[in-house]
Amino acid sequence: MARNKFDIDEELETPFDIRHLKRALVYAGRYKKRIALALGLSILAAVAGLTSPLIVQYALDNCMKGPETIPGLLICGGLFLGVIVLSVLLAQTRAKIMTRVGQDIIYDIRKDLYKHMQDLPFEYYDSRPHGKILVRVINYVNSVSDLMTNGIINFVMEMLNLVIIVVFMFFVCWQLALVVLAGLPVYGVIIVAIKNGQRKAWQQVSNKSSNLNAYLHESIVGVKVSQVFTREEVNAEINDRLAKSYRKAWMKAVAFSNMVWPSTDIVSISTRAAIYAVGLLAIPGGITLGTIFAMGDYCARFWQPLMNLSNLMNTFINATAYLERIFEMLDEPVTVTDKIGAKEMPEIKGDVRFDNVTFAYDESAVILENLSFCVKAGESVALVGPTGAGKTTIVNLISRFYNLNGGRVLIDEEDISEVTLHSLRKQMGIMLQDSFIFSGTIMENLKYGRLDATDEEAYEACKIVGIHDYICSLKEGYNTVVSERGAGLSGGQKQLIAFARTILSNPKILVLDEATSSIDAKTERYLQQGLNHLLKGRTSFIIAHRLSTIRHCDKIMYISNKGITEAGTHEELIAKKGDYYKLYTAQAISPAGV
Amino acid sequence: MFLIKWLWKNMKGDRAVYSTALFLTVICQSMYIITPSIIQRITDTYLVGPEAAENLRTGTDHLVFLLIIMVGFTLLRAVIQYTANMCYEHASQGIIYRIRKVLFDKIETQSAAFYDIYRTGDIMTRVTGDLEMVRHSIAWIIKVTLECIVLYSATMVFFFSIDWLMALCMIALTPVILLITRSFKNVVGPYYVDLREKMSDLNTCAEENISGNRVVKAFAREEEEIKKFDKKNKDYNEANKKAAFTWLKYFPGLEITAQSLSVVCLVFGGLFVIWGRITLGEYAAFAGLVWTLSNPMRTLGNIINDYQRFTASANKIIELYYAHPTILDREDAKDKPERFEGKIEFRNVSFSYGKKEVLKDISFTVNPGETVAIMGATGTGKTTLVELIPRIYDVNEGMVLVDDTDVRRLKLKQLRGAIGIAAQDVLLYSDTIEGNISFGNIDLPEDEVEKYAKAADAHNFILHTSDGYDTIIGERGVGLSGGQKQRISLARALAVKPSILILDDTTSAVDLETERNIQTALRNLDFPCTKIIIAQRISSAKDADKIIVLGKDGRIEEIGTHSELIEKDGYYRQVYELQK
Repeated sequence: MARNKFDIDEELETPFDIRHLKRALVYAGRYKKRIALALGLSILAAVAGLTSPLIVQYALDNCMKGPETIPGLLICGGLFLGVIVLSVLLAQTRAKIMTRVGQDIIYDIRKDLYKHMQDLPFEYYDSRPHGKILVRVINYVNSVSDLMTNGIINFVMEMLNLVIIVVFMFFVCWQLALVVLAGLPVYGVIIVAIKNGQRKAWQQVSNKSSNLNAYLHESIVGVKVSQVFTREEVNAEINDRLAKSYRKAWMKAVAFSNMVWPSTDIVSISTRAAIYAVGLLAIPGGITLGTIFAMGDYCARFWQPLMNLSNLMNTFINATAYLERIFEMLDEPVTVTDKIGAKEMPEIKGDVRFDNVTFAYDESAVILENLSFCVKAGESVALVGPTGAGKTTIVNLISRFYNLNGGRVLIDEEDISEVTLHSLRKQMGIMLQDSFIFSGTIMENLKYGRLDATDEEAYEACKIVGIHDYICSLKEGYNTVVSERGAGLSGGQKQLIAFARTILSNPKILVLDEATSSIDAKTERYLQQGLNHLLKGRTSFIIAHRLSTIRHCDKIMYISNKGITEAGTHEELIAKKGDYYKLYTAQAISPAGV
Repeated sequence: MFLIKWLWKNMKGDRAVYSTALFLTVICQSMYIITPSIIQRITDTYLVGPEAAENLRTGTDHLVFLLIIMVGFTLLRAVIQYTANMCYEHASQGIIYRIRKVLFDKIETQSAAFYDIYRTGDIMTRVTGDLEMVRHSIAWIIKVTLECIVLYSATMVFFFSIDWLMALCMIALTPVILLITRSFKNVVGPYYVDLREKMSDLNTCAEENISGNRVVKAFAREEEEIKKFDKKNKDYNEANKKAAFTWLKYFPGLEITAQSLSVVCLVFGGLFVIWGRITLGEYAAFAGLVWTLSNPMRTLGNIINDYQRFTASANKIIELYYAHPTILDREDAKDKPERFEGKIEFRNVSFSYGKKEVLKDISFTVNPGETVAIMGATGTGKTTLVELIPRIYDVNEGMVLVDDTDVRRLKLKQLRGAIGIAAQDVLLYSDTIEGNISFGNIDLPEDEVEKYAKAADAHNFILHTSDGYDTIIGERGVGLSGGQKQRISLARALAVKPSILILDDTTSAVDLETERNIQTALRNLDFPCTKIIIAQRISSAKDADKIIVLGKDGRIEEIGTHSELIEKDGYYRQVYELQK
């Protein structure tokens, strides 16, 4: 998949069709009883509303004749008030129901989206700016709330209105009804013309807003870099460019959307004029004046729901631009997932075997080719070799972060693609290069991998890595809150906490990927002693550039040229006088050594 | 009032357009009365009047004329309304464009202390959702408020001109509406403040999850993450409902009062007709325009609702809008356009994060072209020390001098422009590799990009990526190995041809051969440069002109050359022994 950056519009792969609406309706379908109830209340309110003109009519005709009609007038007033109270209360109840339903639908969509997000593979996150993912989950979902809250009910109500009015019109005078309906094709042509441009324009808006927010997100995260490189002005220019194109896209979109209402207005008034013209001039005497009068009135009532519907269409088209993105993300294939019928990984003993593994991040660059090796339970294995040779890739494959292009990875002779991801990864302890610390207390971060760990176990882990004393020196100790990405901690401290976090998760297989690169030599030495104790009986994979940390490993594998070029113990490899020997002696001849 | 002033201030440039829009709204509202009045005339003259049939026969031309006027007026009104709406959109987009610019500027210039408090998700909320509320308020709230006022006042004038007593009756309910909305306003405000807080939490939670997706997967924590998010999602959902329900609680009161105007009109109008105070025709005039009074009253609640929402959001934006960066150019800052020599001096420098003292009484000097290595245990403040040079933080005591000038008396842009940093926490942008390397020097020609990539020993692996220098790398450089990221970050720092180069543990994740290549390249740079290197390995530090070892107490523990320090029985010697 091509990577995306902040100023590249994301191509939408799916063409527009009614399915988006249907899918949105699936969410509404879960609440169909409540929606039906709300609809019922709306109809009731509409019927109640119809009685008020009758009351007024009656009062006008009968209760304004003289003082003796005053009681009648008051009764009419009372009835009128009653009808108002009734319809308002109905409307309130309906609104309460629909607010709940609308918000719950939003909640559901967001929940599904987030859940899906957790299953998406690394590639998804690696190939686009994170800000673009964020706006989908948060802002886009909010954008469809209006549609969900009132759109559905209003649509049904307006359609109902429309049908009733059409029936009435034909009942009163079919000729004039046809005149009114003659406006429809004209209206249809206008709306379709607007709609085509409108949809594209709103898609552009969603694209541009996505770009703008992606850049904003990156700018916030990378603010320090921008400052030290005095990039503020250049960044401001980029932001300006993105903001301008967003503004342009928006203006174009509303240029279409704002056309809908006035066009409806024009067509509506024109048909009304046509009624008078036709009724009074074309077929004089054929139709009574009262009929024309009534039809003029109905004409207004016929176009009112259409106006509301066209407004609704605006909301809908606007929301579709966002719905498309939401569904696109929901449809994003989960490439690394449990096979159907995948079983739980039994407790891992620790045998690891690569069987003819071939792997490529993308087709053009094969990283590993026909790689086979075998590690026995409890062995510690070091991976060395030039950067970018695929050391991290190998350990990532053990946790099945990626699917293989060929071959198998087996743990305890179980093909790891046949077991559930959760049961596999739960037993792995991976110390990543990037020691990401979450906002929260230090204790919460430590227990990230094993929630049921006791505080004592956490202290123990911190003692092993040698950060216990430091944490205790903080005012709040283990309850100190660290901010986003561990801001406030030094790089080494973050790494130590991440290390303790991994230890605490009590993994069966331990992976240390440059786990100590930011830690000073003395702390590292201290760490090493605790670690040796910890590694006993566990299979471990260690990637390190400081050869001093790995020379005692049971097996050292030199990775280059898409596979293992040398493997053996430190002594064997030294005796072999190959790449490892070169690497080692290169360090040894430097006067200070490593 | 402050909010309005603030909006007005940011409308600079679009004020004329916005005023036009407001003016057009007034015209448009007035025109709404014209179409009904023409229809009224047609009805009276040709349909229900006593001489209707007669008029129809004789006044056909007049009828056609009226019809054309009616359509014409609608056309005109539609055009005016469209223009007005586009003016609103133009002005509101203009204002948020300007605010967005200021906000971005603020975000870019805030000092590190700011980012210790404000979370990414929260700032995102301010610039996305909150800004949208501001747009909405300008494009909608103010417009509708004006429409209401125009409609209401025009009708009141009209009513008083017909009959003052009847008009008074019609106005009687207005105070009730005002009372209800006032109480509503006070009650609903806090709910919207809470709602946007919840929104910000939701944003923050999702943001962290996306950024930390690798750790989430590595620990198989998906379920807990979903639970955590679910709670925030639920909170937001409930805050939304609470705010909406508060509105719905007041809704019947407002709505019933507003609609009761029709009842008042019927009953009092009826009584006045009976008592002969007004004619039936006058009654009809009142009845026909009741909606012009009741609609504004009904809308008032909506306006207040949105206004409270706007206030909650606008306050959050304003907080950021007026946030002052603590580190900025002093007024007496010295202009120094020429290239820096690269001399650095720390003079009795002390620094604390809050109450925690990190550096204590640090003094040393680095002459132009020299290389200094800084070593020390984890958490001794090595990174903090170097961050004082480009003023990421300002010292609490003492001073840092570059080219014999206190850094606080230099212009930030010139100072930082003279410094190249490859930081410990490598942050790359989702951009091409070339774009990342030329980040600090965007005009850098292609061959120079390659030159510095070669100096950072990154050229070879870059050529092996799918599109070479045009390969887009993910945010934070995901997809690259740690060592590869560090090398691009180094090339980026070199590309600005700095007078002072700061390398914060830049080669920790590269293999030794690479490190050696880099060291050779650094010795042979084609521009003069003072280097400060934070290192864990002796191999990175040993060739330095000066090695500084920081102690746990924040003071300099040892200072000297490799051969000097190796003689002392200190930290350096111990590390040397360990790594031998």
